[in-house]
Order: sequence, then C-alpha cells, then structure tokens
Amino acid sequence: MSKRSVHNKIKKRYSRSILALSGTALTLSSMSYADAPPTQSTVSIKSTNYQEDDLLSNEVLFGELSRYDIDVHQFQLVTPVTRNSSLQVNGSYDSLSGASPWFTSANSEGEPIVNLSGASGIYDTRRELSIGGSYYLENETVNLSIGRSAENDYNAAFINFGFTHQLNNRLTTIGVNTSISNDEIFPTDAEKFNRIKSASKRSVSTALSISHIINRFSAYQTAISVTNQKGFLSDPYKLRDVRPNSKSQYAWTNSFRIFFEKMDAALHSNYRLYHDDFGIGSHTVDFSWHQNLSTYIPFDLRFVPSIRYYTQSSANFFTNIDDFSSDPLAPQSSDYRLAAFGAISAGINFIADLNNLRITAGGERDQAKSKYSAYNVSRPSTALVRFSRISIGFDFSY
Amino acid sequence: MKEKFLNIKFKGMGSPCEITLMGSPNEEETLTALQHEVSRLEQKYSRFLKNSVLNAINASAGDPRGFTVDEETLAIFQHAAACYDQSDGLFDITAGPLNKIWDYRKAIVPDKNTIEETLQNVGFKRIAIKNRKVFLPSGMELDFGGIVKEYAADRLATIASKNSNLMGLINLGGDFAVIGSKHTKYKPWKVGISCPKRPSVAIAEIALHHGGLASSGDYLRCFELHGKRYSHLLNPVTGYPSTGWQSVSIAAPSCLLAGSIATIAMLKPLQESSDFLRDAGLAFVAVDSDGKMLTNLE
Repeated sequence: MSKRSVHNKIKKRYSRSILALSGTALTLSSMSYADAPPTQSTVSIKSTNYQEDDLLSNEVLFGELSRYDIDVHQFQLVTPVTRNSSLQVNGSYDSLSGASPWFTSANSEGEPIVNLSGASGIYDTRRELSIGGSYYLENETVNLSIGRSAENDYNAAFINFGFTHQLNNRLTTIGVNTSISNDEIFPTDAEKFNRIKSASKRSVSTALSISHIINRFSAYQTAISVTNQKGFLSDPYKLRDVRPNSKSQYAWTNSFRIFFEKMDAALHSNYRLYHDDFGIGSHTVDFSWHQNLSTYIPFDLRFVPSIRYYTQSSANFFTNIDDFSSDPLAPQSSDYRLAAFGAISAGINFIADLNNLRITAGGERDQAKSKYSAYNVSRPSTALVRFSRISIGFDFSY
Repeated sequence: MKEKFLNIKFKGMGSPCEITLMGSPNEEETLTALQHEVSRLEQKYSRFLKNSVLNAINASAGDPRGFTVDEETLAIFQHAAACYDQSDGLFDITAGPLNKIWDYRKAIVPDKNTIEETLQNVGFKRIAIKNRKVFLPSGMELDFGGIVKEYAADRLATIASKNSNLMGLINLGGDFAVIGSKHTKYKPWKVGISCPKRPSVAIAEIALHHGGLASSGDYLRCFELHGKRYSHLLNPVTGYPSTGWQSVSIAAPSCLLAGSIATIAMLKPLQESSDFLRDAGLAFVAVDSDGKMLTNLE
C-alpha cells in the first residue's frame, strides 16, 4: 500500500453526529480543574444568638448581673464573575447588650468578687462589610479582600491576601495568607470616667498551611500562624487595665478528617497549640462526628454532635483582685480572658440539603471553670463565662 | 537557526507515551506538569487502581444514594451520553462486563446464555444522573476506555498551549494532540497510520496542523476460531465482537472527538460505517478485515 497524505483539506461540513460529539468533547477538553471557581452563585444568611449566663448575686458586689447577649446576623454572596474568577461579599450586623466586669475587689473573706459595669449596662451595634475576589489558575488560587467594621466606639479596616498552590497531583495544597488590620478605639464617656480619648492598634498576621489528601477517606491539614499586634491593647472600659503595647502570637493548628464508609460517617478532629508573649499558652482539642442520615430519610441530612476542650495558662500580669496601689503604668489586668482556666463545650448541629437549599441549625453550650484547667491556677477568676449559642443558617445556590 | 526539540518518553495509562516540545524557555517545567497531568488522570480514572474515582463509582453500584461526581467526571459522563446517542447505543461505557466473558487468550467463545445474562448488566440508559449524582444499578460497571486517554491527550495540549510560544505533539499510546495555535506557520506534524497486520509498517500519513488524531483497532487483541475473526471490540447490543473494520484512524479538531468517532466507526456494520465516515467531514483511514483501505485522504 502506498503512503498518502493530506493537509486536512477535507470538507469542513461536519455531519450532525460530529457536531453533537464536538460539543461535549470541547466542553470536557477546555475545562479547568484546579481549585475550581464556583459555577453557581450562593447566597447565605445566618443568625446566631450568643448568651452568657447571668452571674450569681454572691459573685457580684454591684452592677448588673446579666452579662453579654449578642445577636449576630451574617450575609454572604459568592458568585462567579468569569470562568476563572469569583466575587465574594460578606456583611454582618451584630447587636450587643448586657454588662461586663469593670473591676475586681476582695470580699470580707479576701476572696475576689466582681464589680460589673453600670446599672444601665452596655448597648452597642457593629456593622461589617467586606468584598473580595478570587482568581483561579491552573494550580493556583489568589484571593484578595478588603473590609471595614464600625461600632459606636470602634472602627477597623482590614486587607487580606491569600495564595494557594496545588502540587503532587493536586493531592497536596500549600497556602500562604497575610492580613493587616488597623483598628481605632474612641471610648464613650471618656472624660467622665477618665478613659483614653482615642487610641489605635495594628495587627499583621501571616499563616502558612499545608493540606494533604491521604486517600479517598482521609485528609490532614497543618498550619502555623504568627500575629503581631502593636498599639493600644488594653481594655479602656476597665477601671484598672494596663497591657503591654505589643503582642506576638503563635499558633499551630492540625486537622484530621476520616470517613468511615460502612458507617457513612466522618470524624473531624482538630488540635491547636497557642502561645503569646503575654505569657498565655493554650491547647484546644475538638472532635465532631458527621453522621449522614440520608439512608433513613428521603433527603440529605447530616447530624453533627461535637465536643471541645480548651485550656489556657494565665497572662504574666493577670490578677484576680485589682491592685490600685501598684505602679499605674505597670501591666496589670483582671480580665477573666487572661486567667488560667479550662472550658468544656458540647454542641449539636443539623445540616439538611434540599436541592438548591442547605439549612444548618444547631446549638452549643460552653462552660469555663478554673478546675477544668490543665495549667496551674494560682489566681482563679470569678468572672469566667458560661454561655449558650444557637444558630440557624440558609445557603441558597442558583 | 534550527529549532531545538525536547523529547520525552514515558509510560502512562498503560501505554508508551511521548511528548515533543519546541520553542519555549521553560520546556522542562512544562514537561513535568504534563507528566503530572497524565498521572492525575490515570489515578482518577484507571480501572486498575483500587482508589480511582472510576472504581469508587463502580463500587457504588446499587447504592440508592448514588455517587456524587465532580465537574470533570460529570463532563465525561455527558460526553459518554453523546457517544451513546450518536452511535445508537454501540459506544457504551457500561459494556465492561462483556470483556470478562470473552477470553482472548484462550480463544473461547462464551455460550449464548452467558452472553444474554451478561447483557442484563449492560446499557448506558439504565444509569441515572441527577444533580451531580450518578446512580449505577447493581451489577453494572463503567469503563472510560475510548474516552479518558484521548481526553488526556487534549488536556495536555491545552495545558501546554497556555504558553503561547510553545509548540509540540502529544502521543499517548497512539492518541495524538497538537500543541500550539492552529494559525501556526510551521509545517504540520506527520503522523503515520499503522498497517493492522504489521503495526510497525505505515500505510498512510496524516498531516496534523492542529487538533488530534486517534485510532481504534482490533489488531492488538483478537483471535480467530474456525476461520472467523473475533475482535476485542464488543457490540454492547448483541454481546458479540464487532464485525466491521480492523482499524480506523481519524483526524479531528480534538483527540477526544477523533477517538470517539473512530470507536463508533469500528462498532458500526461495515457499510453503515463507510457512509458514516464519508459523511463525517473528517480525515480518515479505515482498513477492513481483508486489508483493504478506505480513506478520503488526497
């Protein structure tokens, strides 16, 4: 047989079969499958109520017994812009009421006792809006977002930049994230209570993460982050609160997820190790069990019980009874968040998928106590919180 | 000045692969990326790798909850559906169980009852696809042969073509895709078409400026019994080997399209297939069981 050749000078009128197959072949061959951009728009709304338990009357010398009650309403829109890019808009509105510890003193037995902020309590609202975009390359994704938040006495502006790169047949993803935030505080009733009139702080945070898909059923992620804060880091609403004007924070987080095929369920486990130069170190361990229930009901429903244990050491300058005789410029704080304590939390969430609508509803109960601490507690705080959180969310894709 | 070619040979998707590149300062990185892409697709869609997505879908057969697939796999299903429709059910990714009852090494023709029983588990129409979920009936299994290797060739060409300075040719076990703009002034790539009986001998040559070229043939796996040739390409409607061409090669705007048309042409009865190829509007070379060639090459 002789060799023949052609320079594709074949008629260009393709048959109907060819045209039908060309469509799907072209769709398939021209697709990009990196960290894929969203193909649908998703609108999400979520409302959360966070309620701290009232303090007991024997724990308080004066002031309101009711502590913070916060309602948070969040909105998010994620929408594709082009084949390789997406836009994300986030908004939230929070309202806060209640009272917070003003100072601590000693009762007749010399035990610490809390004095809460004025009888009228605190009322504040917070609004936040951020806008961001993501650009998806073959193996990389780049994110940039900016945002602002405003409260009656607090403004913040932030910028966030993220980059991820997939390698090892896209089984491994490395990510770098940097955010910068400039915050400004201008306390209310500054002159009346001799508070600072205005102050600012700047936070710069960088995180490096690696996630790896081990096999079809399990995945692992580890990340380290470093945050540096400079500026006014004290609480101006406390009678005596002086903190250093710089703080470095280091965190190492680990997540492992494993799916048990026979049980149609997944275990999510996380561990976080934290240290800062205020002297606080902490450990957080949490587990959640994601049980699919769709075998028993006609739609996709997931039941997620979870448990978390948190413990931290106290800051070097924490005191459980404010000392007004010491050097007024020396670091000192009776903020319970700087005390050594432990906290146990349990929660339940339900996630239902109904075609284009996902409904998430759940609740959580958290109790912090000095005796739960894994660290030595030399100065127990009487103002530790017990709180409940309930939330409901809707995600609609179209 | 003579252009420098960079050439690499490796084994991927169970076949010898070869990539030839020209004209870019970062050819080495591109070659690595292309090899990774072959490996990614092999790991995802191989029948022989336990943890592949394909085997996970097959393992889900009979599960009323179905199996959720990603966008890429969904697009493969959509193309498989188009192939099934355009071939009147001959190109069927569910035909896999038939391969198990035809033993080409021992040259045994299975009995009629076995074939009929096996055909109960064949039929693309029986698969339901809803909201990214694939519902594969119990006993059925999928095989993306005839799609994935051709698609991989196109993917590699697409990835490499993102570098506008780069030109070259992808060859994944006889599935070819051209890297570079179709408006290129360079000479076309000349791809030899093998003789079905003597694969090392070229019987024709197709010049490719762009797009892809794929061949389907039974010369590598077939047997003869009592004077009758049994092809490895099985007709999913009858359960018996196809009786048409020994080999069909097609040049098309993409390798995937070329491979799909070549497979459909192999499965159709000879006369119907001849008309199908002539009407297709694509360059083709087809060789029948007597070694006679049909082509529209000039």
